[in-house]
Amino acid sequence: MRGGVILTALLFAAVLVAVLIGQVDIGMAELWQGLITGEGPGALILDTIRGPRVATAVGAGAVLGLSGVIFQTLLRNPLAAPDIMGFTSGAGLAVVAATALGVALPMPLIAACGGLAAAVLVALLSWRRDAATPPLMLILVGLGVGFAASALTTFSMTLLPSEVAADAQRWMTGSLAARDWRHVAQVWGLGLILGLVTFGQLQALTALELGSDLAAGLGLNVERARWGLAGTGVLLAAVGVAVAGPIPFVALMAGPFSARLTGARTLGGRLAGAIAAGALITVLADLVARAALSGIQLPVGVMTGLIGAPYLLWRLSREMERGEL
Amino acid sequence: MSLRAEALTLGYRDRRVIDALDLDLPRGGMTTILGPNGCGKSTLLRALARLIAPRSGQVTLDGRNIHALPSRALAREMAILPQSPLAPDGITVGDLVKRGRTPWRGFLAPWNDRDAAACTEALAAVALLDLADRPLDELSGGQRQRAWIALVLAQQAQVLLLDEPTTFLDLVHQMDVLTLLRQRNRDTGLTVISVLHDLNLAARFSDTLVLLGPDGLVATGNPQEVLTPDRLMTAFGLRAQIAADPVAGSPMVIPL
Repeated sequence: MRGGVILTALLFAAVLVAVLIGQVDIGMAELWQGLITGEGPGALILDTIRGPRVATAVGAGAVLGLSGVIFQTLLRNPLAAPDIMGFTSGAGLAVVAATALGVALPMPLIAACGGLAAAVLVALLSWRRDAATPPLMLILVGLGVGFAASALTTFSMTLLPSEVAADAQRWMTGSLAARDWRHVAQVWGLGLILGLVTFGQLQALTALELGSDLAAGLGLNVERARWGLAGTGVLLAAVGVAVAGPIPFVALMAGPFSARLTGARTLGGRLAGAIAAGALITVLADLVARAALSGIQLPVGVMTGLIGAPYLLWRLSREMERGEL
Repeated sequence: MSLRAEALTLGYRDRRVIDALDLDLPRGGMTTILGPNGCGKSTLLRALARLIAPRSGQVTLDGRNIHALPSRALAREMAILPQSPLAPDGITVGDLVKRGRTPWRGFLAPWNDRDAAACTEALAAVALLDLADRPLDELSGGQRQRAWIALVLAQQAQVLLLDEPTTFLDLVHQMDVLTLLRQRNRDTGLTVISVLHDLNLAARFSDTLVLLGPDGLVATGNPQEVLTPDRLMTAFGLRAQIAADPVAGSPMVIPL
């Protein structure tokens, strides 16, 4: 409980600092004035420059964090996250390919198709006739599918006109540049719906945590529950990718980070914590990415990559020590 | 009023494990399925618990095919403790037991007094009330198994199936678990169906034994009827004598 308060407070503080600091810093007074009067530099920052960007970061981080903790719980493995298992790469490929081919559909829809296609491919490739697929196998197959999707994305970019390709390249790293309120509405609206859908499946996920046999004994339709949760998780990740690109490692880190910080015991608490932690990581990473080097705005994905890669290595070595790999 | 297997045939891929088995396990009894490794004990239990679908034939509960019942409705009548359930990291005994209420809780239904009472009662039945706030992984093996049993007791189903509930326990805790199940069976009329390895414990704690051999069902009935030298020979290839257990009076298998 106390950890939850700390996490929420950190998130609010991060959001505030992210709005105040940038290429042009503003003070609290200016921000307040902008908020009240709708005029002055504060209002400009809030309405067009940083407001939508930070709000998108919160939304994208939240859906990625939730997606990550769903898969980590479902597969009982801290490495099982949509960014590791290739789902975000699949969503990214779909977006770039759609742009190259001139398909004019809403981004979240395209990203969702790509994410789901990657997930189905992973499931098919690792399917075994007589036994349940070990989670590690799913993760490794997912890793492969992710690399394949990334390779195809790079190829798709060669088909794009060079100025579009540069944008796409930037977006593929995971970028929150030039976001507007439509992106905010998209990620928050869809995120809220999918979040509610997830919490509607909380009981199923709680039962599944005990293993599929016991879950079935408790009256759960195990296969249906698994597909429902996995589908929701893929869609959540796709919504994040649609507005911010496949930001790496947020989904991987959010769950374990919040669990460590809050010590939440209930599954509902762990999911809520991962939502907040995902948002916090993304907002902070974006803040550092655009403020660390004066005059250079790095994409947020560079920053999450810099934190995430060492985390992944540490996690891998720990899992190996524990004999889980 | 019973759990029945009717012409039940079970198998994996091209291997047939159980062939056209008929069984009638009356309500209120304590039944143990026995047999050598690989004879299909666990497979049979899993089929009775609806964890696997039969090749042909059916399992019925009071005349209704269990595969035709809604999952949640069945879970209110029949509980299953698998051999190795998975414990979420850091979960407490109390939180674990609460999950047994899953089939009784509606979508977003708040936790109610009946749920709380069922959990308290289940924890009391396994003598773990004092340890409800302790993390499961701090408990001993025997206590842990009792916590899992409390989970399925909190489910308040009238039929309980257990797959080798004593396998990883020492003799004291095996006795402990079986005494607890017998007590529950006597007190509440709970139907207990389990798979066990130990013939003598099974004889001592069961009303009905189901003895399987490499070629299917060898015998079923009360322990005196089932545990005979020639049937043990058929099922296990074991030469043995039968004596009366000096304490319980149940048949005792003495290998030769």
